[in-house]
Amino acid sequence: MTDIALPAGFQDLEPLAARWARPTENERNAIRLSAAPGDFVDFDALMAPRLEALLAHLATLPARPEDPADYNALLLAAAFAEAAPHHELYGDSAQVPFSFDARRFTPDHGTEAT
Amino acid sequence: MSHPAASLDHIRRSVPQIREELGVAPVPVRAIRDPAIYALEKERLFKKVWLKVATAWELPNPGDYKVKEMPVADTSVLIVRGKDGRIRAFHNVCTHRGNKVVPNSDFESFGRARANVLSCRFHGWVFSTEGPLKSVPLQDHFGQIDTACLGLRPIACDEWQGFVFINFDPEPAQSLADYLGDFGALFGGYPYHESTTAFRYSTVLECNWKVALYAFSEGYHVPTIHAGSLPGFRGIEHSDFKLMGPHASSTIYGAGMDAAPSTQKFAGILHGSECHKPRPDLLPPAINPERRADFQFELPNIFPNLLIHLASGCGYPGMSYFTHQFWPLDHGRTLWEGINYFRPAENAAERAAQIHVNALHRNAWLEDTATMEDTFTGIMSGAIDDMQLMDQEFLIRHAALTLDRHLEEVD
Ligand code: FES
Ligand SMILES: [Fe+2]
Repeated sequence: MTDIALPAGFQDLEPLAARWARPTENERNAIRLSAAPGDFVDFDALMAPRLEALLAHLATLPARPEDPADYNALLLAAAFAEAAPHHELYGDSAQVPFSFDARRFTPDHGTEAT
Repeated sequence: MSHPAASLDHIRRSVPQIREELGVAPVPVRAIRDPAIYALEKERLFKKVWLKVATAWELPNPGDYKVKEMPVADTSVLIVRGKDGRIRAFHNVCTHRGNKVVPNSDFESFGRARANVLSCRFHGWVFSTEGPLKSVPLQDHFGQIDTACLGLRPIACDEWQGFVFINFDPEPAQSLADYLGDFGALFGGYPYHESTTAFRYSTVLECNWKVALYAFSEGYHVPTIHAGSLPGFRGIEHSDFKLMGPHASSTIYGAGMDAAPSTQKFAGILHGSECHKPRPDLLPPAINPERRADFQFELPNIFPNLLIHLASGCGYPGMSYFTHQFWPLDHGRTLWEGINYFRPAENAAERAAQIHVNALHRNAWLEDTATMEDTFTGIMSGAIDDMQLMDQEFLIRHAALTLDRHLEEVD
């Protein structure tokens, strides 16, 4: 997959964005559910040290950034928001341990596409 | 309508009072197991009491509508904001020959009526969003027709704090305000309508609706079921018990958990924001009256099938409140809906942080829902006749007693 453009200063994270960043929760869920334990380890290793800087950049942008690179930066943060607990809490498992089948949950966030 | 905390002293209960008033004996599971009870629940409960079906902010403009399939009342419901700004509810049934006025394929769907009318696709009868029948194609070909009596069939509908409730009884025994009673006073006054960012999840569970309701009605399970998503949850205390007629409530306090590194960073965004930081000052005065710093949320059961967990940003970072509803589809099938409400994000970092909080909470719900079908299978097996309930499970005991009272009533 080709890289997804990110804002200046974050371009080294473009391969991560290509792997994880997607506009909808359903798409991000599908990627996460098919990820291997090592994928969560890698995502965390590359992203955790940059999270503060990424959030500082996002804090200067509207909730839905106009600029495509800025929007991609939000999608990367969203993907990490959803993936990080799998590394930090769930032992790099793609599933929440001892949980209901996540594919049976239907997200519906109003005007936000899912 | 704001009430000083003192005026609600009569709803407070100590643990000994709860034991005295509700009893301590095991509670029979028959109401969950017996399909005949479900038939009674439909007639004597769900077709008689007020049920929350929407929020005012889901339908912000005249013409906005929501269609909700409600097998528990054997109908499809149309909730629509009229040209006059009022939200009304109707059976989604055309008065010509009974087709759905708004066809739908999901449990819930939304739309906007153009020119404030809705027309049935079958033969083109047109209804105002306020109910009356406006036009009938080839009207002079009917030998007899009284269009004045052929408006959409109304369902009693009222709002409390922007939550829209309906009552299928053509003449409800109580107004919504009277039905909510002290609950309305306890929870009234919080700016619910400001938290319009909603993350909603739903699923169909193969269990009786009360199994799902009860699983979300206690804090006893937190250290065990949520060991994954809420690790090291410290000092959990489920207290401040309150009884309010058919409704009950209680408070979850807790000194927080061992937040993971990413959680700390995302949470920091929301905690550092004027708009999303913890706002214990916004809580109605009788909730967490001592304004304890370890307040997490108020957990009420609004009989029969609504939970509104009010947190005001004090529990999950930035989360104003979250709701659960449990809609029976059949004796052993339930539509569960969980919704997290936030104030709208003011920048993209807040948006990402809300997505993080939402994901953690959704994951906790995946842990909760994991028990429900197994519990129902266990109860259906006949191996146990009773539930053993501890003090923190008093909302279950209270709901079970309230349900029994409704089912006993002979018309
Ligand atoms: S059934 Fe609706 S117009 Fe005929
Ligand atoms: Fe839970």
